[in-house]
Amino acid sequence: MELADRIATFRATLEEWLHGLYHGMIAHPATEKIEQEAEDLEDAFMLACFPDAFGIPSPVSYYTAELLPYLGEEYAAWERRMWDRQSLIERKGHQYHF
Amino acid sequence: MSESTTTTRSEDATAVDDSTGTEFVFVGGKGGVGKTTVSSAYALECVEAGLETLIVSTDPAHSTADVFEQTFDDDPQPVEGYDGLSAMEIDPDQEVQEHLTDLKRQLNDQLSAGMVNEVDAQLEMAHQTPGAYEAALFDRFIEVMRNADPYDRVVFDTSPTGATLRLLALPDLLQGWIDRLMDKREHSIDLYEKAAIGNQAPRRVMDGDPILARLQARKERFEFAGEVLREQSSFYLVLNPDELSIRETQRSLAQLHDADLPVEGLVVNRLTPEPESHEEGRGATYLRQRVETERDRLERIDREFDVPVVATIETRVEEVRGSLLEEVAAELNVSVN
Repeated sequence: MELADRIATFRATLEEWLHGLYHGMIAHPATEKIEQEAEDLEDAFMLACFPDAFGIPSPVSYYTAELLPYLGEEYAAWERRMWDRQSLIERKGHQYHF
Repeated sequence: MSESTTTTRSEDATAVDDSTGTEFVFVGGKGGVGKTTVSSAYALECVEAGLETLIVSTDPAHSTADVFEQTFDDDPQPVEGYDGLSAMEIDPDQEVQEHLTDLKRQLNDQLSAGMVNEVDAQLEMAHQTPGAYEAALFDRFIEVMRNADPYDRVVFDTSPTGATLRLLALPDLLQGWIDRLMDKREHSIDLYEKAAIGNQAPRRVMDGDPILARLQARKERFEFAGEVLREQSSFYLVLNPDELSIRETQRSLAQLHDADLPVEGLVVNRLTPEPESHEEGRGATYLRQRVETERDRLERIDREFDVPVVATIETRVEEVRGSLLEEVAAELNVSVN
């Protein structure tokens, strides 16, 4: 009986470790990547909505201004990100954990 | 524009869709060629044919008020002395201001004070871009189209800028744009949803996303406008028998043609009256020469444009108003049906 118990404990620990490894190496970075991709897409969306924030006149900004009450926080964050972003590599680069 | 008004607006749209009776007529042309005179005269013709008619002026100078010697605002008002004729005047500047105020109010409802400041600059900027004026005007056009139920005929006396005509080509362009925006938004939300592992809540959810709802509402309005412009509208251009006016008309024709909105006819206004044959002297000689050149130009118009000249109107000594307007209306033999 004792041996069986010990094997079960060992297996549980191993499973936990494996799950942790899988999460840390595969699942978590992947989620992060997907989220970053979503963020990038959102940035593109914002840029398409408000190009005049960067001096590009747009015929739709009058209409997309209607979205601002709902995009307020995203807008502020986006503008900061866009001004801060040094290069595309910098942004893409920090998705990888070495 | 709150959520509730959005829904009533779309209800209005279906109401109009059901009764396809209303016809829209757009009168365009270079500044100062007499668009207001022609559109007012045309509106009178429609009234005489027993049609309930609304004339909409978008010219900031608003000469409809002068023609009918009555002041109008941006609600349809019956024109005194003419049964079945109403008029309204749209002021795009005022529309832009109202749109801005409305959005600012919503901004204050939705966001914290600090955030409002961040976004405010963008809001102001969006309302000062060159397109804002046209966008506001276009919005108003759509409103008029949606509430056109009580009228059989709506005549738009457009403002002289080429922009108004270009405006009419917008629905397709804007629809495409909004489509792409919605696509991006959907895609990013989808990714956010996928990124949420386990029992984490995704950062954004597709259901009830206010941005998507808003874009969708916009898209429907543009679709509606595009449909009305293609199926229930006709376009007329007014021109004078002079070089500039002819060239401008050529450009407008090409623009409208590109937008798949073919022009029904041309109205040549301000033709010089011919003197009696026994008249001599400088005045008569001058008039004869002018009539001669104008005849040449009329022939040129006939030859070069593939759109028929539906009416020619002689120039008047006085401003066209009152009984003179009825005379002009009689000269205008555009079929109203």
